[in-house]
Amino acid sequence: MKKQITKYYPLIPVYAAYLILFLIGVNVEGMWQLVAMLLFYCALGQAFNIFLGMTGYVDFGYVAFMGVGTYGMALAITRLVGFQGLGLGIIVIGFFLALVMSSLLSVAVGAVALRLRGAYFAIATIGVNEGFRFLIEGAKIWNGTEGMIFTAELNRILGREAASALSTFWADVMVLVIAALAAFVTLFYMRSKIGYALTALREDEDAAKVMGINVTKFKIIAFITSSGFAGLIGATSWALKTPYVFPPEVFEIHYTIEAIIIVLLGGAGTLLGPVIGGLIYGISKYYLSIFMPGFQLLIFAPIIIVIIIMFPEGVVGMLKNRLKGTALGRFII
Amino acid sequence: MALLELENVTKRFGGLTAVDHVSLELEHGQFVGIVGPNGSGKTTLFNVISGVFFPEEGRILFEGQDITGMPPYKRAPLGIGRTFQIPRPFGSATVRENIAVGAMFGTLGHKTSVDESLEIADAIIARVGLEAHKDKAAGTLTPVEKKLTEIARALAMKPKLLLMDEAMAGMHPSDIDQMVALIKQIAREEQIAVVAMVEHIMRAVVGMAEKVIVLHQGAKLVDAPTKEALEDPRVVEVYLGHPPEE
Ligand SMILES: Nc1ncnc2c1ncn2[C@@H]1O[C@H](COP(=O)(O)OP(=O)(O)OP(=O)(O)O)[C@@H](O)[C@H]1O
Ligand SMILES: [Mg+2]
Repeated sequence: MKKQITKYYPLIPVYAAYLILFLIGVNVEGMWQLVAMLLFYCALGQAFNIFLGMTGYVDFGYVAFMGVGTYGMALAITRLVGFQGLGLGIIVIGFFLALVMSSLLSVAVGAVALRLRGAYFAIATIGVNEGFRFLIEGAKIWNGTEGMIFTAELNRILGREAASALSTFWADVMVLVIAALAAFVTLFYMRSKIGYALTALREDEDAAKVMGINVTKFKIIAFITSSGFAGLIGATSWALKTPYVFPPEVFEIHYTIEAIIIVLLGGAGTLLGPVIGGLIYGISKYYLSIFMPGFQLLIFAPIIIVIIIMFPEGVVGMLKNRLKGTALGRFII
Repeated sequence: MALLELENVTKRFGGLTAVDHVSLELEHGQFVGIVGPNGSGKTTLFNVISGVFFPEEGRILFEGQDITGMPPYKRAPLGIGRTFQIPRPFGSATVRENIAVGAMFGTLGHKTSVDESLEIADAIIARVGLEAHKDKAAGTLTPVEKKLTEIARALAMKPKLLLMDEAMAGMHPSDIDQMVALIKQIAREEQIAVVAMVEHIMRAVVGMAEKVIVLHQGAKLVDAPTKEALEDPRVVEVYLGHPPEE
């Protein structure tokens, strides 16, 4: 039993970071907006890390799962608004739909694309995001290009005040919970055969197969998990925080790029990495956009390149290696 | 029942026949040396048996079961383990984790937990003498240590058949003797049949094999008890070009 608990020690720094963020956000005047953004990036990194970090496969279509999750929540709210008795239950159903829809899409994409190796997989996924967006727009699914605006519905379901509290505060708290859950699942995977299988296939897929590892199965497990979390983040950060959904916004590839940067900065496949990556990325982006509006990318790109060259294993990857065998090493993975 | 049977197995790469109508039979616990000049198809034969490639012709039976078209990840749990000519440990994982992977997905796969697999790994680490390195990332090891890690990882699978592709090249002769003795001992205890590719180290063949299979241009040239095979004039001519060392 003791051993089981010590296995989960590495969650302590992760949760401590989230707690500190939260406390700063609620106690320091005017900080919540920044904290909310940082929580979003940490959650995004934590979720994407389960796939990108643990398998080494790059999914350029990752944002599609956030987009689909956003639609899941939007559909629940707009279609169920008439059932007033459901109240908050509608939001719960929305999360469920977001999870189911993003997972289903990931099964469909994964079953085909995950049979491809590394670079081919990456290329195939570029098409998924655009393809799905054009499908929604072209076939006029879920209102096509017009998207959905559901501020009024949300107000009707929750009342104006609660709806406003949801979008300015509670949605961000939910993102925090999602990030914490994703961290837990990451560590759970790391400590189970799934994690060993993923490490093996990330390092050498052919050798992993010969060792008895059904690589496609484990890649799909990581893919579905990661995509499911993306769906939940979309449902929260996008649908609940800003109650509308337009295809060009939720299938915007730059979120995928941001997610990749966060994971690499922090340390792909590490537990604490997405937190550190999310914080570095979010804080720099926020302050650069205040102090040097318009120039942020120009300054940002070289900084990121320098960090990635200096720490090819990410900040936490480097720390982890330094601390290996020390007392602190048990906490930083 | 034979452990492994190959019936007329042929593997081609384009116009090149890398394995040419090879038939062979292997008993449980048997020790077989496989030799042949560069490019004679030894590695390809291992690849076909472990499922990395599927043969164009012929059948492969493992304990009577036809595994010809079976994917590699299903063969390992049946008891087929292997090492690679150039070691391929999982670089970012520690030596201990590497070896535990063998226990997790090998023949014990469905029954061992992660903790039990790590215990199995520890036992094997002690046995092959990798204690000093067990917490190092496998990617940082020397080539010889990587080979040892690979052998240990394959042993952790508790295989019935262990295919060792030049597993001991690069080792110091005295280390080879030690390694041969150890593998032989473990194989006897656990009833593992070993097929070892030992091209450059004749002493290793003599030291461990009960029989020797000689490949030449993909075809089986000789399949006979060790002493007999090594004295076969065709072998001397085709493969060695001179009598065996020692
Ligand atoms: N994946 C491949 N694609 C194309 N040709 C291959 C492939 N693998 C092996 N070959 C060819 O098949 C033949 C047999 O090669 P193989 O590697 O099996 O020989 P080997 O006996 O292991 O040689 P060595 O002693 O150098 O390890 C060679 O001509 C080689 O070039
Ligand atoms: Mg070879």
